[in-house]
Amino acid sequence: MNDRFSNTIRQIIRRPILRKLILLGIITVIVTNHLQITIWKLLDGWNNLQKLGSEAFPPDFTVLTERAGWTHPPCTFESDVLCSPAVVGMTQTLEIAFLSTVFGMLLSLPLAAMAASNLSPYWLSQSVRQLLAAMRVLPSLIWALIFVIVVGIGPLAGVLAMTMYTVGYLGKLQYEALEGVSKEPLEVARAMGLPRWQVARFFAIPEASNALISQALFMFEYNVRHGSVIGLVGAGGIGWYMNHYLSPFQLYDKVLALIIVMFVVVVIIDQISLSIRQRFMDGETHPQRARWRDIIPFFKIREVRN
Amino acid sequence: MTTQPPVRLNMANVTIGFNQEEPLIECVDLEIRAGEIVGLTGRSGIGKTTLLRTAAGLVRPLSGSVECCCTADTRAEKGAIGLIPQRLGLVQHQTVGYNVLMGALAEANLLQTALSLPSKKMREETRSVIEEVGLADKTMESVNRLSGGQQRRVAIARAMLQEPDLLLADECLGELDAETARGIIELFQHMAKDHNMAILIVDHNPVRAKTFCDRVYQLRGRRLIPFEEEQSSPALPVIGEASA
Repeated sequence: MNDRFSNTIRQIIRRPILRKLILLGIITVIVTNHLQITIWKLLDGWNNLQKLGSEAFPPDFTVLTERAGWTHPPCTFESDVLCSPAVVGMTQTLEIAFLSTVFGMLLSLPLAAMAASNLSPYWLSQSVRQLLAAMRVLPSLIWALIFVIVVGIGPLAGVLAMTMYTVGYLGKLQYEALEGVSKEPLEVARAMGLPRWQVARFFAIPEASNALISQALFMFEYNVRHGSVIGLVGAGGIGWYMNHYLSPFQLYDKVLALIIVMFVVVVIIDQISLSIRQRFMDGETHPQRARWRDIIPFFKIREVRN
Repeated sequence: MTTQPPVRLNMANVTIGFNQEEPLIECVDLEIRAGEIVGLTGRSGIGKTTLLRTAAGLVRPLSGSVECCCTADTRAEKGAIGLIPQRLGLVQHQTVGYNVLMGALAEANLLQTALSLPSKKMREETRSVIEEVGLADKTMESVNRLSGGQQRRVAIARAMLQEPDLLLADECLGELDAETARGIIELFQHMAKDHNMAILIVDHNPVRAKTFCDRVYQLRGRRLIPFEEEQSSPALPVIGEASA
């Protein structure tokens, strides 16, 4: 018996994958104990989940039809639907995401050119990289908390918070794209004796333009998703309306309806953005520069009419 | 008494490479004057491109002096050096017009570059050089859609618009059929004669280089030596043979 046990142990020790799995298991048990997570707490949670489910179902879609007099800023439309919490909240989230992507892109592009090691001297690229990393350290929710304190409750705090995060995040993606461009156009520009900013502006950025546009669209998608969270701390958007129903009224059926609306909109935006981004991605099927007129049907309609 | 054309590139006792202990090329003495076309040949990986990049001021020489376009420094004045790299250095996904217009950047003032607004003269000159290289109908076409020969014409048109004192061309004629290569050689000859440019061109085919260059040099055993035909073996097809 002892021999069989020691043989099994020996076999385990000999197999590196099993050794690693056992080590992982031990660490997981230690961490779970340290956080005082028990199966009883999970069972309690199940009971709460059942209670929440019974209060949230069926979702109350009057959030899409009933006018809310407490929107911030006040809604001036005649239509009740246009002034409903779901429509106002989602519109604000989209607007916050749009503005923060535009402002973020405008600020991050020059910073990314300064951070790219093939376009800037070592000291500059390293310091700008540290700045971008510092902006990424705080998640958008914490930035929102800071700006709610600075400029007060409302969409402005949301736009500022999301812009800060966008600069940090998009800046990193952009300088990596700029560092990946072919070195030959840059050498042509350097041999001509052009200053660094012209090398970046006329050679590196156009060379990386497809990747940069694709990243900006991805960032808009990301900002729509995260724009709904920052509302929970008062920075505008659909999250603010969710928070309004959650505390103090705990109207879970209305919150669930808002979550469903948000989910549908985010899925639609993800799909549109994905299909546009595919047009801008490099590949054998689309070797040419993608143009907006190829993507947005409006241009095609106009061309047909002409 | 006739005055000699000005010196555009003067390399004196230059050692080229990335490692002082193992240089790629030693004791390079090369002088190119305005209006001259000088060929450079040698086997792959011997350092032809590095020599060109050193002349362009992109690589510092390990020792010796490189005087570009009358300045005793590797950094020549803005727009004085034109470079056509092996893979041409065109900005991908952009049009022929955009790529050629880049040649005018050295002349553009701060306001024009900051606002991306080329002057009427620049636009007209761009149009005229595109016509000169025979790509007038492709001005708004993306360079990715052009053939290898057409892309080379775009790179040459960019250099023509720039009008540098010294043009450095790295294997511009590689992988081209004889007729297309002849067309491109004619463009180089036109640039050297009519625009008084000094041209240093790398060509894998020394026999072809002999047909259009004023002088041809060869890189052999870390040295730059004048090319003599009996050294070359086997003989590569001369331009025009294929079409004859």
